Amino acid sequence: MDTTTNDLNMNLFDRVLDKLCLTPIGLAGLILLLILPFIPPFNQEYMLRWLIYCGFVAAMSVGFDFTAGYINIVNFGYMAVAGTGGYTSALLVINAGLSPWIAMLAGGVSSAILGLIIGMISLRLRGIFAACLSWFFGLAVMGLATKMVWLTRGPLGLRTPRLFETESNFPFYFLIIILVYLTYLICKWVVRTKMGLAFQAIAQNMDAARTSGINPVFYRVFNFTMSCAIAGVLGGFYAHFYGILTPDMMHTSKTVEILAVAYIGGRGSLWGGAVVAFPFIFLMEIVRSTLSHLPGLNLVIYALVLILVMIYYPGGFSYFYDTHIRQPKNRVLRYFLNGREAKA
Amino acid sequence: MSKHNMSDTLTWLKSAPGLSIVISIVVAVAATIDAGPYLMVNMVVTGGMLALVATGLTLMLGVLNIPMFAHGEYFMIGSLTAYYIFTPISEFILEHPDSWLVTFGPFIAIIGALIGGAIAGVISEKLIFGPLRRRSTDNWVMNSFLLTVGVSVLLVNLHQLIFGADFKGIVGYWQGMPISIAGAYISLDRALAFIISAVIVALFYLFMTYTRTGMAIRAVSQDITGAEIVGIDIEKIVMLTISLACALAAVAGGSLLFMYPSYPTVGLEPLYMAWFVVILSGLGNILGAVAGAFMVALLKVITMEYVGAGWDFVVPSALIMLILIFKPSGIFGSDVRGVLDK
Repeated sequence: MDTTTNDLNMNLFDRVLDKLCLTPIGLAGLILLLILPFIPPFNQEYMLRWLIYCGFVAAMSVGFDFTAGYINIVNFGYMAVAGTGGYTSALLVINAGLSPWIAMLAGGVSSAILGLIIGMISLRLRGIFAACLSWFFGLAVMGLATKMVWLTRGPLGLRTPRLFETESNFPFYFLIIILVYLTYLICKWVVRTKMGLAFQAIAQNMDAARTSGINPVFYRVFNFTMSCAIAGVLGGFYAHFYGILTPDMMHTSKTVEILAVAYIGGRGSLWGGAVVAFPFIFLMEIVRSTLSHLPGLNLVIYALVLILVMIYYPGGFSYFYDTHIRQPKNRVLRYFLNGREAKA
Repeated sequence: MSKHNMSDTLTWLKSAPGLSIVISIVVAVAATIDAGPYLMVNMVVTGGMLALVATGLTLMLGVLNIPMFAHGEYFMIGSLTAYYIFTPISEFILEHPDSWLVTFGPFIAIIGALIGGAIAGVISEKLIFGPLRRRSTDNWVMNSFLLTVGVSVLLVNLHQLIFGADFKGIVGYWQGMPISIAGAYISLDRALAFIISAVIVALFYLFMTYTRTGMAIRAVSQDITGAEIVGIDIEKIVMLTISLACALAAVAGGSLLFMYPSYPTVGLEPLYMAWFVVILSGLGNILGAVAGAFMVALLKVITMEYVGAGWDFVVPSALIMLILIFKPSGIFGSDVRGVLDK
């Protein structure tokens, strides 16, 4: 969905689209998502609830992909980081009487600090070791949330006030769509600058990157901090949408859910996970609710898709899109899919 | 001569392995004196089980470079197999209390678990790891790790789908009076579970050190191209390694069925613990894994005793993170390169 061009021939519309990191099809998709709750089967509250969950997973997978796809470190405690943000936000609202909106941002800050710590201590480690460290960190944070009953009420769950004083899910849906898009936009902006190149250089060959004068310490810690801050804000949304927060949300299996969506969407694309999350998670929810006499079936499908993608199509959806759909012969269609391209 | 030995011992004691082993022994003894011998018994039983699971994990990592996330699920397969073998046996025992099955029935269940784990390993190699190995181009470690994440979710939910989410456990394998050692009563089950794991780890160590096949496995783990040049059939070794590793986890699950009833996510705890062990002791080091298993078991038992149940993830994982920060290659480890070292 990106075409970084500085062509003077572009008209205003194209230039705005380019700044917003969207292609015409991306814009169409966004508009479709915004009008979706008014189209009949989706305007029921329970469907909206599922869609909001889809949006949450989509936004999380974008933030996850920012680390996994660009500096090639899998943050295996990602949901624990989000949970930290959620708990911080919820506790601030309950104990300090803050507005949930400000508390959400405070949750983001707390998660960013956590990300800074994880980023700093995982500096010496590569690949699987860094993944393990963040995983253990997540386990420790989840253990803390479970055991500090005086603060978090442990497994009983913490009741949190919702963001909007209404029973309806509509405002939450629009908020999460905006959050999905903002997450994507911020990540994309960062990736488009010189930083994105530095991230990829570090991921591919640390020594070569260091030889060309890139300081891996700064970029890795920055990347970690930013993706964790995103997770924290989203965790705050989660807390103030569901109205109840349990340590279960930080569980590794939840991280696996995000990870699966990010990888099925295609790593290193940012948008892949967001696009895949909506149909995929939605279908899973349908399977779960209609075939409720077969518990676990949705997760079996989930795992099978992940395994098949990992073995047979490691590029994921974004790779499929780039190789098979993106370059049609028809010029109008081509414009629709790619936006204005630079003249050769 | 003896002086030379003394100085060698002293150097070893000052090294990371020596220091940590001595500290753990001192802590274990102190805690035992303070809280009672049952602490030591718990540590030894948990440590024996962990040693089995962690050795399998180490084997997978060392030989195939697969950081297994699904290892706990083979533990689950083992306990499930043992449950379905032992239930008819125990019904038979109820009707015929004098039959030879009273003594040997549990062994049949445990051996069944071993075979079940090995078969599961072979199937997963054929269906999952083999195809990935043939198609994978780069970034093998991370890809295979994510693949095993998928396998783990798949197996957990298949268990739930087919066998249900309820606890499938037994009261005990062997009836009989508990053995009394130094004032602590150990049930026959626990004692035998420890003996089984000790025997299997010892056999496994001998197998890896002295047999030709064991040497071939170690050769593959050191240098896969070199092993191929001297005529080792890589495919066969890989298959053998996976089935061995899975069988080790499964036999731990089978022999501990009386402590951990089989349910979908029973494997998570052994998995976390085994990963603690592997990170603590360094990757691909079997003897280190055995020592590390007892250290982690000690940590867990002491945390449960002095801090409280439920903290047994927080304290060990915090400690292991500290170790990772200061010694990324683990206590007994081989070298790992990080960002900061030049």
